[in-house]
Amino acid sequence: MRASGTCRGLGERFRCLRWLLVLLLVGQLEIGAADPTRPISDEYQIKAVFLFNFAQFVEWPTDAFASAQAPIVIGIFGLDPFEDYLDELVKGEHVGSRPLLVHRYKTREEIAGCHILFVSRSEEAEVRSLLDHLKRRPILTISDVDTFTREGGIIRFATENGKIRLKINVEVAKASGLAISSKILRPAALVTAGTK
Amino acid sequence: MLLIASLLGGSSPTLFAQLRPPLPSASTLKKMSMEELMDIQVTSVSKRPERLSEVASAIQVITGDDVRRSGATSLPEALRLASNLEVAQVDARQWAITARGFNNVFADKMLVLMDGRTVYTPLYAGVYWDVQDTMLEDLDRIEVISGPGATQWGANAVNGVINITTRSAKETQGGLISAAAGTELRDAGAVRYGGQFSPNVFFRVYAKYADRDESVRTINQSANDAWHTLQTGFRLDWEGVPGDLLTFQGDAYKASIDQFGPDNTTANGGNVVGRWTRQLGDNSDIKVQVYYDRTHRRIPGSFTQTLDTYDFDLQHRRPLTAGNELVCGFGYRLVQDDIVNTPANAFLPARVGRESFNVFAQDDFNLWTDALHLTVGTKLEHNDYTGFEFDPSARLAWKVDKVQTLWGAISRAVRTPSRIDRDLYSPATPPYRVAGGTQVVSEKLVAYELGYRVQMQSGVAVSLATFLNDYDDLRSLEPLNPPRAFPVQTSSGLRGRSSGAELTVEWQPTSNWRLHAGWTELRVHSEPQPGNLDRGTRDSIARDPNHQLSLRSLLELSPHWECDADLRYIAPINMSSVPGYAELNLRLGWHPVKAWDFSIVGQNLLHSQHAEFNPPGARRELQRSVYGKAAWRF
Repeated sequence: MRASGTCRGLGERFRCLRWLLVLLLVGQLEIGAADPTRPISDEYQIKAVFLFNFAQFVEWPTDAFASAQAPIVIGIFGLDPFEDYLDELVKGEHVGSRPLLVHRYKTREEIAGCHILFVSRSEEAEVRSLLDHLKRRPILTISDVDTFTREGGIIRFATENGKIRLKINVEVAKASGLAISSKILRPAALVTAGTK
Repeated sequence: MLLIASLLGGSSPTLFAQLRPPLPSASTLKKMSMEELMDIQVTSVSKRPERLSEVASAIQVITGDDVRRSGATSLPEALRLASNLEVAQVDARQWAITARGFNNVFADKMLVLMDGRTVYTPLYAGVYWDVQDTMLEDLDRIEVISGPGATQWGANAVNGVINITTRSAKETQGGLISAAAGTELRDAGAVRYGGQFSPNVFFRVYAKYADRDESVRTINQSANDAWHTLQTGFRLDWEGVPGDLLTFQGDAYKASIDQFGPDNTTANGGNVVGRWTRQLGDNSDIKVQVYYDRTHRRIPGSFTQTLDTYDFDLQHRRPLTAGNELVCGFGYRLVQDDIVNTPANAFLPARVGRESFNVFAQDDFNLWTDALHLTVGTKLEHNDYTGFEFDPSARLAWKVDKVQTLWGAISRAVRTPSRIDRDLYSPATPPYRVAGGTQVVSEKLVAYELGYRVQMQSGVAVSLATFLNDYDDLRSLEPLNPPRAFPVQTSSGLRGRSSGAELTVEWQPTSNWRLHAGWTELRVHSEPQPGNLDRGTRDSIARDPNHQLSLRSLLELSPHWECDADLRYIAPINMSSVPGYAELNLRLGWHPVKAWDFSIVGQNLLHSQHAEFNPPGARRELQRSVYGKAAWRF
C-alpha cells in the first residue's frame, strides 16, 4: 500500500495514496464528482411524510390563520435535513381549502405565522429556551432531539430499531389549543412533560 | 474468530437500508397510514454510518416479513430466498448450502452465524442444518453475503457469510401461539411470550416443536428419515443509560431422526450468549460478546460427538479523522471436541481441545468527497493446526450519482483445517484405508469481485455482482501406494477456479405488490495440483448447477389477504447427474383481525416428487406438500 517513497508516516501515506487513486480515477470521476451529494436519507423522507400527515390530522384554532384560505405553514428551524424533498412533497397539496407551504427560519424571532415547526438537531442546545419562547402559541412543535417532549415540545421522533416512533405530549398540545386526531395518537406513545 | 457480525446490531440497519429497494415514491408514501409509515425500516444517519466494506460486497437481505410471506417452515427453506445461495435439500433433514460453488452436504466454505454465535461445526467446517432453528416469527433478518468476508467476519467466511439475527425482546412483546399441520410438516406448534420486568428490561421466552415427514427413495420407498425437533429459548435485553444495551440470550434443543437400524440419530444442545454494546459517541462504539455452546450428536454405527465452544469477541469502532473510520477487534475461541468412535471410522485423537485467536483492523475512508470510499483491512488469526493466517482485503465503492454504486474488491480468505481433514481415519485401527492428513494446510482463496447497484426512480432496484475465485490447497485424497486406489491420505492437493455472476432485480409496481427476480450463473473447475494423484475427490467436492433462476411475487390483495408465489429453476448438477428442476411454492394468507393470521401454503407443487442433490442410489426425493397454519397474537 505504499504510495511513493516520499510519503512518511501513516497519515501522510494515506494522503499520498488518496492522491494516487484520485489521479488514477480522475478520468472517470468527472461524472461522479459533478454531483456527489446523495439523496436525503430515507429516515428524513419518512419524517417529511409524517410532517405532511400532521398537517392533515391536527386542528388549529381558527385564529391561527389569517383567512379561510390561508396556508398551513410548515416551518423548519435550524439546519434543514429535508433539503427540497419536503417542498416537493407538499407542492400542490391542500388540506381543505388551505395550501401547504414550507418556511425556513434561522432565528426564533422570524418564527411567525407558522403552524408546524420542525426543530432540527442542530438546535439541540437551544430547545428549552426556544420552547419557552413559543409557549402556548398554536404551533405543533416536532423534533428528533431526545429531550424534546420532556422540555415541553409536542412530538418527538424516536428511532427504535430502525423504525420511527412518535412520542406525543398531549398536555402541551391541549395547552397550545391544538386538537390531534386519533389517527396520529393511536400508533403513538403518549408522554407527559416530566418523562421521556 | 471475529464476529463483527454478531455484534452487528448497530450497523446492520444501515446496511439493510442501503441494500433494500428504494423507499416508495413520495406519492405512495403520502397514501400510507401512520402505522404503515412506522413500520418502514429507515437508516438513522446521525447514529449509524453505513459500513462501506459491506456496501462494496454482494449482499442480499431477507427480512422476517419475507420469510413469513414465503411460507418457509425452517431456516434452510428461508435461505432459498437469497438467490446468491445454492440451497439443495438432500433428504428430509439434510441440506447442502453454499454460495459461489463447491456445494456438498459437507459444504465447508461458509460462515453461518445466529445472533452472533457461529454455528458451523469444527468437525467438518459445515453446518448441521437440522438443529439450527429459532422462532421464525421473531426473525429480524438474514443477511447473506456471497464472496469472502474473512477480514471482518473471520475464518471460514471463504465463499460467503450467512448472518441470522432475531428481533430484540422489546420488539417481540406480547403472546403468540401458532399451530400448523400438513403433509410434510406433519404438525408443528410454537408459543412465545414477551414481557417487561421494568421500564428498561425486556424479555421473551419461546418453545416450539415440529414433526416432519420422511423423504422418499427414487424407487418410491420410504427413506425412513422422518424427524422431530423440540426447542426452547429466551432473550433478555436491558437498556441501561442511553446507548448502553446488555443482552443475555440462550436456546436449548433436542432432535430425533429416524434411520434404518435399531436406533435413531439423536442430537441435543444449547447455548448462552452475553453481549454488551456501548455507544461512545457518533460513529463510535464498543461491543463485547461471550458465549458458550454445546452440541451433542449420536449417530448409531458411526460416532457420537460432544462439542463445547467457548468464545470471546471484542470490537471497537471509532472515527480517526473526518471521513476516516477505524474498526478493530480481538477474538478468542476454545473448542473441546470429544468423540466416541466406532470400529468403522475414528477421529484420532478422540478428544481434542483447540484454541484460536485473532486480531483485525479495518479502515474505511473517503478518497474523494463522499463519492469514493476505500476500505482496507486485514485479519491475523492463529489456529493450532497451521499457526498464523492472514485474511487481507481491499474494497472500493464509487457512488457514481444519487442512485448508482459501482464497487470492486480483492480479498484473500482461508479455510483452516477441520477435524475431518486432519483427524479422520477409517477403519479405526491400522491398517487404514483412509488416513488422517497430518500435513493438511489451510485452503486459500484469492477473490476478485466487481459489482454494480442502481436504484431507479421507477422503483426498480438492480444489483449485479460478478466474481473470479482462485483456490489453492483444496482438500484431496492422495493414494499412498499408487496405482492402487487405496489406501489414501487426506491431503491439500487440489486447486480450483470459479467464476460467475449474480443478478437481482426488485420492483414494486404498486404499494401492495412486490416482485423479485434472481439469476445466478456459476462455473466451477477443480484439478489436481502438479504431483498430486487424486483422481476422485474433485468429482465430489463441487456439485453445483450452472444456472439458477428465481421469481417471487408478493401481492396484498386487500388489507386482509396476501397471495404470494415463488418459482425457482435449478439447472442440472452434472457431477452427480441430478436433473434440472423447476418448482413452485404458493401461499395464501388471511388476516381477518389484528390478533389472528391464517395461511395455507403449498410447497414444491409442480411435481409429485423431485430430487435436488446426490447421485442416483444415495438420492432422496422430496414430495409435493401442503400445510395450513393459524397464529394468534395477544
